[in-house]
Amino acid sequence: MKKFIFTSILLGISLFASDYKDTKSYSSQNDLYVKECASCHMGFQAEFLPKRSWNKIMDSLDNHFGVDATFDKNDENAIRKHLLKNASDSKRVYREIRVFSDSISKYSTPLSISKIPKFKKEHREVPKRAIIQKELKSISNCMACHTDAKDALYNERNILIPNFGRWND
Amino acid sequence: MKLIALLLLAFSLSYSSVVTDYLNTLASEAKRVSSDFKIFDKERGKNLFVSKHIGKKGKLVSCVSCHTNNFSQRGEHILTGKIIEPLSPRVNPERLSELRTIKKWLKRNFKDVYRREGTALEKGDVLTYIISKD
Repeated sequence: MKKFIFTSILLGISLFASDYKDTKSYSSQNDLYVKECASCHMGFQAEFLPKRSWNKIMDSLDNHFGVDATFDKNDENAIRKHLLKNASDSKRVYREIRVFSDSISKYSTPLSISKIPKFKKEHREVPKRAIIQKELKSISNCMACHTDAKDALYNERNILIPNFGRWND
Repeated sequence: MKLIALLLLAFSLSYSSVVTDYLNTLASEAKRVSSDFKIFDKERGKNLFVSKHIGKKGKLVSCVSCHTNNFSQRGEHILTGKIIEPLSPRVNPERLSELRTIKKWLKRNFKDVYRREGTALEKGDVLTYIISKD
């Protein structure tokens, strides 16, 4: 009996220890967002879209733009929390992101940033052949041209279109 | 030189223990489902990996469509264009090193190709195929 208790304590400690390590490796929810979301596409700033958009996106991860993007439920909840906390209608948003999110009608629920009216307007003059080239692949690949998109810097000085050069309006 | 060899050995042992542990879990699950289960089979795994099915987007796809069948080479996602690092842990040390990542991608990719989650038997077979090529 003594041996049994000892083993279960050991087991308990080891289970706890592994669990502890798991949550500690990403100290903030942002790290988790980068790990789970930005391993496939850019870690789009939560500030671009309102809460209703993020909720809808998180509710349909099993068919996320045609692929299954589900992951651990606890992690999904943590990321949803991060997105809702930083959504465009949760706090004050600045600069280009503010201009974009302000253009979203309160009756619409865009599921991608490229569906935002102001996004479309700002990108309509970009030649199609620039977008479909292999360096870009798609309009949702922000970092291909907005070299500092990761740091939420979307102004003109930070644009360099591969094989096309700088962009001036 | 000796040190490098030792480090390599330690590394290969650590990677294989994650996979071996998971294969053992899958084996006991498979045994529970069917008492006929003996061992995982890389030929069945290969068939799962290369055979084509109507996937999530209504396209005829297999695992090969994105991963290629050369595991020391990079692949490219046929829908999103995402570069997929090699499946071989020998070439890509991060591959098969973390249980939660292995589980996550097996679940997702079965759903993308087979439109359902794989069974324990299927997951074990396909994993056995992947490590057999290393």
